[in-house]
Amino acid sequence: MSVTAPSAAELNVPVATRVISFLQLPPSGPIQTAIIYAPGNADSVAEAASIERAIGAGKGRIRVKRIAVGALGTLAGTQVAFVTGGLRGEQDEIAQAATRNHVVTITSDQSCVASARCVVAIATSPRVQITVNRAAARAVDAKFGSAFLMLVKEI
Amino acid sequence: MMRHSRMLAAIAAMALPVVPAAAQTVDYSALEAVMGEPVTTSVTGRPQRGSEVPASTVIITAEQIARSPAHDVPGLLKGYAGIDVNRWTAGQSDVAVRGGVQSYNARLLVLVDGRQVYLDHYGMTDWNLLGVPIEDIQQIELVRGPASALFGFNAASGVVNIITKKPGDAPAATLVAALGDHDRARVAGSVMVPLAAGIGIKLSAQHLREDERRVPDALLTPGRLPDVTASQVASELFVHVGRTTATVGGGYATNGQMEYLPSQILSNQFYRSGNVHASVARDTAWGGLTVSGFVNWLDATYGKDALRDRPNAALEIDNRIVSLKAAGLYRFGDNNVIRLGSEYRNNRIVGDAQFADTISYDVASVDAMLDLHFGDRVALTTAARFDRLWLGASGPVAQPAFNDPASFDRAFSRVSLNAALLVQVGANGRVRLNGGRGYQLPSLTTFGVRIPLVTATPLPFPVFVAGSPLLDPVGTWSGELGYAHDLGSTRLEATGFYTRTSDAIASPGDGLQDLLEFHLVPAPVAVARFQVAGDYQTYGVELSASGRHAALTWRTNYTWTHTDEQVGSLAAPIALAFSPRATTPQHKANVALGYDAGGRWYLAALARYTSPTRQFAFTAMQQLALFRVEDAIGIDARIGYRFTTRLAGYVAAENLTLASGVAGSPIPADRRLRAGLRLSI
Repeated sequence: MSVTAPSAAELNVPVATRVISFLQLPPSGPIQTAIIYAPGNADSVAEAASIERAIGAGKGRIRVKRIAVGALGTLAGTQVAFVTGGLRGEQDEIAQAATRNHVVTITSDQSCVASARCVVAIATSPRVQITVNRAAARAVDAKFGSAFLMLVKEI
Repeated sequence: MMRHSRMLAAIAAMALPVVPAAAQTVDYSALEAVMGEPVTTSVTGRPQRGSEVPASTVIITAEQIARSPAHDVPGLLKGYAGIDVNRWTAGQSDVAVRGGVQSYNARLLVLVDGRQVYLDHYGMTDWNLLGVPIEDIQQIELVRGPASALFGFNAASGVVNIITKKPGDAPAATLVAALGDHDRARVAGSVMVPLAAGIGIKLSAQHLREDERRVPDALLTPGRLPDVTASQVASELFVHVGRTTATVGGGYATNGQMEYLPSQILSNQFYRSGNVHASVARDTAWGGLTVSGFVNWLDATYGKDALRDRPNAALEIDNRIVSLKAAGLYRFGDNNVIRLGSEYRNNRIVGDAQFADTISYDVASVDAMLDLHFGDRVALTTAARFDRLWLGASGPVAQPAFNDPASFDRAFSRVSLNAALLVQVGANGRVRLNGGRGYQLPSLTTFGVRIPLVTATPLPFPVFVAGSPLLDPVGTWSGELGYAHDLGSTRLEATGFYTRTSDAIASPGDGLQDLLEFHLVPAPVAVARFQVAGDYQTYGVELSASGRHAALTWRTNYTWTHTDEQVGSLAAPIALAFSPRATTPQHKANVALGYDAGGRWYLAALARYTSPTRQFAFTAMQQLALFRVEDAIGIDARIGYRFTTRLAGYVAAENLTLASGVAGSPIPADRRLRAGLRLSI
C-alpha cells in the first residue's frame, strides 16, 4: 500500500486530521468521521476513495464512513465530516445537517466555506492555506485555539 | 524502504495527540505539521508562519538539526546569511548579526522557550551553558535586526529563541553517545513521559568534554589550558487543563572553558548556573493571556589558573536575575492582533571585585504591538516598548572608591521601536520594509567592576580596571528592505540592510596611558574604565536561495557587509579592543546540501567561505594587537545510517579542509571528527 499526495482539488487528509486537534475540547477516543459525497459524481466518488485510502494508511483515531449526500439523515453520531467537491448544489442541506448534529465540516471546496456552509476549507497549492468561517463554526458549536486562528484566514 | 518511510511519515502526520494542540497555546510541532512550514512567535509575539513574519528571520527545524554536521547552536546558525560565528576557543563562541563582531557579544538576546539564557552579569551568551541538549530542540528562531520593542534591552542586533520539544501522547526517550578526536566525549539523553491525561514531564541531561585547541606561542595564555567541560540536568512539568497550560521547570548546568574576555585577554572560566521557571497560559476566544516568571542564578569564577605562581587566584561573581512577565494577545477584525505586555526584572551581581558588595538594577517595562492586515496583500506591524531602569549599589564599598556612591543612585528610561510593512506582490512575491530602534544595556560588570591589573612591568602605583555607573545604553537604529519570491519548491530572498550603532562600549586594552584617570587620595591609584569606544555603521546585502527537490535539500546564501567606524586608533599600543570594521568579514557565502530519501543513509554538508579579518589578542609580551585571520573555506559534513527505526549512527566532521581562519579567531581552527549513536524509544 502506498500513500500518494492528494491532487490540488482533493482534500489534504493529513492536514485535515491535524485541524481537528486544534478544536477546543476535541473529540476524545475514536473520531467518527463522515465522508460526504455524491454517488453519481465521478470526481466526488474518486475524492471519497482517496480520503479513505489516506485514512486507512493512518490507522489512527479517525474512523470514516461514506455518507451519500442523499442520506444526510445518517450523519448523527459523527463529529467531523469531510465534504468532497462536486456538491455545490447540496451545500445547504449539508450545512443544515451539520448544524443539527454539531458536525465540523472540512472541505477543499473554498466556495462552501465562503458561503458559510462549511466550517474549514483547506487549500494546499501553492502552499497550505486554511480558511475558517466564523458563522459556520458558531453554527456547529466549534471553537478553535487562538494560536491556530492567528495562522489561518478567518472570514 | 523509501515507500515504508513515507508511509510512516503520513501515519505520523495523521496521529492525533492525546494532549490537544489547542490546549498547548502554541504547539510548534503541531502548527508546523498543519501549516506545512515552521511557525514562530519571536517577531511580534503572535504566532506567524515563517514565510509571513515582518522581519528577516531564520527558523531551523528539528529535522534540519538532526541531519546537520553542527554540534551546537552557533554551528547551526553559521550557515545562514548575515550571521558571523566566531569560535574564539574550543568552547567559546559568539554569534553576531550583521557585523559588530566582538567577544562576549552583548547585542544578541538568547532565549530558551522565551526565558533568557543570555548572562546578564557580563552581557554575553555561554552557548555551553544553555542547559538544552541539541537533540531536545524543536526549532531555533533567529531574528535579524533590533527586536527590543518586544524583548527589551539587549535585543539590539537580534534575538535567538530556542524552542524545546514537549511531551506528546506517548512516552519517548532519546539517548545519544558520541566520541571524537581531541578526546571529545559526549552523552546526552532525554525522557518525556505523559503522567496522566493532560500532564507530562520531561527530564534531560548531558555531559561533554573535549580538548582545547592548540594556542600559538605568540599569544598570551593562562598558566594552564583547561579542557572544555559542560554538564546539565533539567526537568519540566507540563499541565493542560481545558484552555489553560501551565509549565514549571528548573535546571542546573556547569561549564568550564578558556575564553577571550571583552579585553581580549585569554582567561579560564568556570560557570555554575541554575534556574527555576514557571508560566501559565490561558487560551481565550479572543486571544490569550500569559504570565511567566523565572529566576536565574549564576556563579562565575573568572581567571582560574591565570597566574602560574598563583593557581587559585580567581574572581568570583554571583549573579541573580528575577523576571516576571505578563502579556495578552487580542484578535480583532479578520486577522488583526494587538499585544500588550509588561515586565519587571531585578538583576544583581555580588562579588569582591566590584565597586560595592552588590551592584543591581530594577527594570519596569510596558510594551505594545499592533499587527494590522489590509486585505490579503498588505500588513502593517508597529511595536513600542518603554523601559525604566533604576541602578543601585549596596553593601560595603571597596576602597579606594573610584566613584561617588551617589553616582550609582541613577535612573533612566528608553523607548524601543519596531515597524514593518509587508506587501504581497503577485501570487508568490513579498516585499518587506522594516526597521527598529533597540538598545544594548551596559552589563552590571560594565557598571561596577573593579579589578586590580597585573601589569607586565611594575608600576609605582596600582592600576585598576573599573566600570562606570555613568555609562548609557548603546543605541542601534536599523532599517532594511527585503524581497522574497517562491518559485515552486524554490525560495529566493534578497535583503538590503543598514544599521547604525552609537556610543558602543569597550573594555580597556593595552595602551592605557590616554585612558587612565588618577586618584591621589588616600594613595595614588590609576583607573582604566570601561568606556564609550565610538560609533559604527554596517550596511550590506544578503542573498539567499533554498529549495527541496525529491530527496535533495539545498540552501545557498551570500552576504556582503561593509562597516564604517568612528573609533580610536588601532596603532600600537591599542587602548580599546574594539574595531567592528577590522573584525567583521566583508564577504560570506554558504552552500548547504542534504540528501535523505528516507532510507538507511542520509548525507549533509555545509561549505562556508569567509573573507579575511583581523582579530584582537594579547601577545605573549602582554601587548594588545590585531592578528590576521586568513580567508577560509570550511567544509562540514555528516553521514548517517539508520540501523533500525530506533537506532541510528553517524559520523560528522567540522572543518574538513583544515582552514585556519574558519573559526574567526586568533587561535587557528582545527579539524574535529566525531561519531555517535542515537537511540530513540
